[in-house]
Amino acid sequence: MNISTRNLSRRFGDFVAVDKLDLSIEAGEIFGLLGPNAAGKSTSIRMLTGILRPDSGDASILGFDLFEQTEIIKQHIGYVAQQFSLYPDLTVFENIVFYAGLYGVDDRDRLEALMTLYDLDQFRDRRAEFLSGGFKRRLAIACATTHEPELVFLDEPTAGIDPVTRKELWDLFYDLASQGKTLFVTTHYMEEAERCHRLAFLNHGKLVAQGTPAAIRDAIEPNQVYSCEIGHDPELTRALLATSGIQLLNQLGDELRIIVEPSVSSDSLQQLISEHHQQDFRLLPVKPSIEDAFMSLTSDGEHG
Amino acid sequence: MRLILALVRKEFIQLYRDPRLVGFIIVMPIILTTLFGFALKLEPDNVKMAYVDDDPSYFSNLIKTNIWNEGYFKLYPVDDVAAIRNEIRLGNARAGLHIPKKFTADLTDNEQPAVTLFIDGTMPSLATAMDNNSSVITDDTVTADMYFSDPDEPAVVIAQDPFTLDVETLFNPDKVETWFFLPGVVGILIMQVALILTSTTVVRERESNTLEQLLVTPMSKTQFILGKIIPYIVISLIDFYAILIFSWLVFDLPSPNSHAGLFMLAVTYLAALIAMGLAISTISQTQQQAIFISIFVLIPSILLSGFIFPIEAMPSYIQPVAYLIPFTFFVDIIRGILLKGNLLNELLPQYLALCGFSIAFTVFSIMRFRKTLA
Repeated sequence: MNISTRNLSRRFGDFVAVDKLDLSIEAGEIFGLLGPNAAGKSTSIRMLTGILRPDSGDASILGFDLFEQTEIIKQHIGYVAQQFSLYPDLTVFENIVFYAGLYGVDDRDRLEALMTLYDLDQFRDRRAEFLSGGFKRRLAIACATTHEPELVFLDEPTAGIDPVTRKELWDLFYDLASQGKTLFVTTHYMEEAERCHRLAFLNHGKLVAQGTPAAIRDAIEPNQVYSCEIGHDPELTRALLATSGIQLLNQLGDELRIIVEPSVSSDSLQQLISEHHQQDFRLLPVKPSIEDAFMSLTSDGEHG
Repeated sequence: MRLILALVRKEFIQLYRDPRLVGFIIVMPIILTTLFGFALKLEPDNVKMAYVDDDPSYFSNLIKTNIWNEGYFKLYPVDDVAAIRNEIRLGNARAGLHIPKKFTADLTDNEQPAVTLFIDGTMPSLATAMDNNSSVITDDTVTADMYFSDPDEPAVVIAQDPFTLDVETLFNPDKVETWFFLPGVVGILIMQVALILTSTTVVRERESNTLEQLLVTPMSKTQFILGKIIPYIVISLIDFYAILIFSWLVFDLPSPNSHAGLFMLAVTYLAALIAMGLAISTISQTQQQAIFISIFVLIPSILLSGFIFPIEAMPSYIQPVAYLIPFTFFVDIIRGILLKGNLLNELLPQYLALCGFSIAFTVFSIMRFRKTLA
């Protein structure tokens, strides 16, 4: 077990940012922490990296106690913050040398290898501030891994990154995982959830699900999700949301995805829609996606 | 006009939302005005005066009593004239008075003896003030009883003063203002550079998110603070000598009698300033706040250090504030080295005070700096 937490909590004034978090993460896996904005993802990651003190709970990181052995843990983990946190006025290589120095690493060959691994050789003498978003992330990851940490925390590493670069970054993550490193990644991109070995969903600071993507999809029964090519009909939407048993609506272009309670049958849903919608439509039961599960789990029972 | 108004409103809202800034804008100036209003006077009282009375008598007592009663000088006895000079050199006294042997005899014989007033010339404004107040030694209350007419020729009116006053200005006898002010100005300039540079250094890392990245490394608080102090000491040392050498070349400043003493001064003074700047940085939330605090430290440092306004001229309850300012000790030491020829060991308390500031501010910074956020 690389990370295990029990009842980890942190509040800021009256606001409970993280509420009794229980996580368990195995070595060598890419673990994704998902949740809407302000769900407590960054707070969780900052607690686990030892830069924010939890108010209560227990946690063990790589077998070390989070409260007692914080400084030892720091030697074994890497952390890539959400915002760009390198020195903009240092060059790419100077940043790497600086962070390596902070971990007592002076193995130049290793740093050169990192430059090559992250494809940074071409920008060696460029100031970090002039890198593109994707290469800034690469540099940040390189800087956070100069000391070969066993566990790397990445806080929204792909936020604001184009899909092509995002895929390249994920290829890097898989490379790292295949070297036996554990990756702890936060994101709010659903398609990235599918890329993780295991996931946890966080909502309002509370853990709402934890498991493999498949297991989380399976939390929603197959007869709970329907799709309907119907366009956007504001009147229908209002009517559906007012009905009990309808958990969630999700408009994807012309497709309306409807998640219902298991008790709602296909026929009754068909009936309900035709009452409010004059044109023809076809209602199809569909396989739940991670996004359906995510939306359903974070909808807080607002509609039913 | 509407557009300008929109911007004006926004600025007011933003100012109002930063309560610390409101404090800096209103509270700090009021505090400083109060402090300076009470503290800053050019006319000192209780100026320490070492005296040697080589002819204790009714007449020498007349002189001393009048000095006592006027309250401007505070007299204390020393052994001989050499001791007077030494007391002034060490800064224990600002002035000295020598009443010569045979003073009474010469008075009665109408020989017009000379009393010597020694003045510390290192601080021109103070020297001038003491000079102006020297009349306390020779005024009519003192001399009234000192006129003696020859009983054989009672008609002769003695027109001359019973005794004369020789004024001897020690150290910087010509009261060259540049000599006193320039070394202090060097100290002010380097204080400004060092404070502004270091007071923003931690808070800048905080603002640019690099602090968060540093916090996850195994680096300790002490390593962080020392790593921040050392480069700035080196930079400001170079800066200090550059300004000083420039002053020597252009303004013909006297050379220090002790280069080791000067170097030690530079190191201890800069260490104190940089540690202070770092302490400011650890209590600031933004670079703007850090610069505000630095300026509010800078101004009282200049005005309350005895650099322009003599510490002796401050009310006694404000005088301790002067000794909370590193620059006070800098002024003392540099004046001692450049003008009075003080030796290192004679300035030891001042050096130790500067070391004390460095240690205190460094420890404060380390304690204040957290390896956690929020």
